[in-house]
Amino acid sequence: MSLLEITDLHVQYRTERAVGNALSGLNLTIEKGEALGLVGETGAGKTTTALSILNLLPSAGHVISGDVKYEDRSVFEMSEKELLDLRGDKIAMIFQNPLTSLNPVFTIGEQISMVIRAHEKVSRKEALERSKQLLEQVGIAGSRIHDYPSQLSGGMRQRVGIAASLACNPELLIADEPTTALDVTIQAQILELMKNLQTQYSTSLMMITHNLGIIAELCEKVAVMYAGNIIEYGTVREVFKYPLHPYTQGLINAIPNLEGQRDRLVAIPGVIASSENLPEGCPFHPRCEHCSEICRAERPALIKVAENHYVACHERSGELL
Amino acid sequence: MLFRFIMRRLGQTVIVLFCVSIIAFALVRIAPSSPARMMLPDTATDEQVAAMEVKLGLDKPLYVQYYKYISGIFHGDLGTSTQYKTDVSGIIANRLPATLELNAVAILFALVIGIPMGIVAGSKPGSVTDFFAVLFALIGQSMSPVWLALLNILIFSSWLDLLPSYGYGPLVCIILPAMTHGYPVAAQITRMGRSGMMDVLREDYITATLAKGISKRKVYTKYAFKNALIPIVTMVGLQLGIFMAGAVVVETVFSWPGLGQLNFQAVGNRDYALVQSTLLVTAAIIAVINLLVDIINSLIDPRITLE
Amino acid sequence: MNSKLIFKRMLHSKFFMIGFITCMLIVIFAVVGPSFVVYDAEKNSLTEQFLKPEWLSNGWQGHILGTDELGRDEFTRLVVGARYSLAIALVVTVCSAVLGTILGMIAGYLGGAADAIIMRMCDVFLSIPNLILSIAIIAVLGTSTTNLIIVLIISSWVQYCKLSRNNVLVTKKMEFVSASKCLGATNSHIIFKEIFPNITTQLIILVSQQFGNVILVEAALSFMNLGISPPTPSWGNMIAGGRTYLTTYPWLCVVPGMALMITVLAFNFLGDGVRDVLDPKRT
Repeated sequence: MSLLEITDLHVQYRTERAVGNALSGLNLTIEKGEALGLVGETGAGKTTTALSILNLLPSAGHVISGDVKYEDRSVFEMSEKELLDLRGDKIAMIFQNPLTSLNPVFTIGEQISMVIRAHEKVSRKEALERSKQLLEQVGIAGSRIHDYPSQLSGGMRQRVGIAASLACNPELLIADEPTTALDVTIQAQILELMKNLQTQYSTSLMMITHNLGIIAELCEKVAVMYAGNIIEYGTVREVFKYPLHPYTQGLINAIPNLEGQRDRLVAIPGVIASSENLPEGCPFHPRCEHCSEICRAERPALIKVAENHYVACHERSGELL
Repeated sequence: MLFRFIMRRLGQTVIVLFCVSIIAFALVRIAPSSPARMMLPDTATDEQVAAMEVKLGLDKPLYVQYYKYISGIFHGDLGTSTQYKTDVSGIIANRLPATLELNAVAILFALVIGIPMGIVAGSKPGSVTDFFAVLFALIGQSMSPVWLALLNILIFSSWLDLLPSYGYGPLVCIILPAMTHGYPVAAQITRMGRSGMMDVLREDYITATLAKGISKRKVYTKYAFKNALIPIVTMVGLQLGIFMAGAVVVETVFSWPGLGQLNFQAVGNRDYALVQSTLLVTAAIIAVINLLVDIINSLIDPRITLE
Repeated sequence: MNSKLIFKRMLHSKFFMIGFITCMLIVIFAVVGPSFVVYDAEKNSLTEQFLKPEWLSNGWQGHILGTDELGRDEFTRLVVGARYSLAIALVVTVCSAVLGTILGMIAGYLGGAADAIIMRMCDVFLSIPNLILSIAIIAVLGTSTTNLIIVLIISSWVQYCKLSRNNVLVTKKMEFVSASKCLGATNSHIIFKEIFPNITTQLIILVSQQFGNVILVEAALSFMNLGISPPTPSWGNMIAGGRTYLTTYPWLCVVPGMALMITVLAFNFLGDGVRDVLDPKRT
């Protein structure tokens, strides 16, 4: 049994202007203790995936079909109470923007201890004491427990976010681009911290990012998302060494090479497919140089090409099979 | 940090009051007929008026007159009422408690009605409760206080014979005036609470709090509530002036012996000293209340002093 | 935001449609009505005092809403009063919006001493309640329609000033403004071509909300005999006139009060509707 299993998940956003298909048939599993990187451009559906796992989609978001199972229990069928036990305790989430994800009118101590007090029967004082320890663990002096978020820098606020997410020792930690809003030097510190904490707490990790470097650093598995779908999945070593999907190849070619011979960077032509107007067939086909007739007509399925390597591409899977 | 903030606000308040005193002082000077003539019977000769002007110091340069006026204020001397022939400060001090009482009850009424309605409506926009809250608020904002007062008298006092339409002292007497006076405020608080709550619920930190496994009910009533409450407190504070001004109409209609009624009568009697002083006193009260609101606010919301 | 979306939202917003249609009807009523009324709004007719509303039992020729203490036709006075109320509200709203916006943009754009002076002026006017200031000024200057308009402008420009200043301050820091400065744009170009379009949405919303407010303050002043003075009818002084007969002839208060409420309600609906329609945050 996998820790988390997402099967054929379709999520739509319905707004006044249009209907957008944020996720179209997403399949993904995370095993216990595994660190998975979810990579893709802005708008590929990464955050939607994360919010679906917690059953916390905004009111415009609708699950059309498919399921998210946590330890074999569908999160969409859980009672309100079960969901409350799941969120924060079993699955915790670190948000992208530390400037907006902390409540400005509560002290950081209150915000960390509210998680503890939501899941464990402890006194206010005890919860604060534990929050203090957590703060020190993430590198903030315990004396700042009565500070308000506005008194902290962006990096420190993200540390608070991490401390709050670790408060109840979760089995799965979802980190939604935790370093995107931070300076590069701070990014490195935060990643270092997360790496240490993940090994220390032995939680499973779902790292959402568009930075391949972060994934190479932190994760064992990687899933590449494009237009609401996983298009390539496998171990980091395998996928980075032998990328098969033209999109993954494009992503890897777009990283500047600092050693050896320096080639010109290759950009992926075109722009990401609009969720409101997905192309027929393979959503990547308008940008793909290997595009053939079948790519325009039929959506490719995720096919196993090697042990620990899956790809959704007519061209590649046909070649290898 | 807080101390410096308070000192700065205090300085601003002093400047504002200084400007208000200039406006109050200037008011009487721009009147078409001189205050001296107003104090004398219509039959007074020009010589008598001139003599009165000298007596009142109106022949001196303006800055001297202003200095006299200001130093008078600091000694508690607001001039003499032409209508009552006594000290203005005494008359105002006499009327102030009734006005404060009315405003306090009205605002209490408004908060008790408005906050829950606004918050509930804002947590479920589009629901039936929300519709009625919005309707309640819109009607409240569209009611002229004059008409609302008369309507209340007509319904509760004349037809249903439940509540007295005038009088001061017994507790029942304050119900109608306070309701009339408080309704528009309750309406405004409902609207603020509603839109505030809707804005707060869209924030990332609310999703983050929900993701921590805290129930929706608790997130709404404990966390989002505090976020939404801050603009309400600020608004109520800043609008106190308008509430108090509205009391002119309500006090007149209900014969409530407060500053507003006094002001109305003073206008009718062309009692400039009294009009001038009600203006000044009202502004002073409002400035002090605004100062207090800002200080209280900076205690609730740490961002204010830091910015 | 494109005009097609705005139009779509207009049709879908109940507030906007109800408000817009009612406002249009009221405006037409006030503009055209006075030319069609049968009676004289200001002429006394002591034989016809306190007639009960006849509604339409005698057709449009009858005293549809009855007569007042001086025998004047209530309906006629209502129609004529509507014209005064709306005209005054229109003049006041336009003037105070223009005055306030200009001052606010100057304060926000220039900053420094100009900003400090204008903002302290706003503080001063905010610390004296509208009605009290209006009462004091009119008490001294005397009652006249011109004075009424001046007083109403004085007491309502501050809102526009604060709104536009704050918006200018925000917009000024935006990169596109710095960019056009770098390209050598003049101050007036930046203010009117770059910044002003960014604050129009909020101005439109404020104008539509303030319109009803002005009508209410005007009515309160007229009620206290500080606005439009009898025998010229205004809704405020009609309520004042009827107040003495509240229990015996209630329609004398109820009719103008109702008209006042419906009008202000319609403009508030419109204001809310406009806000919904133009809300950039709406998804």
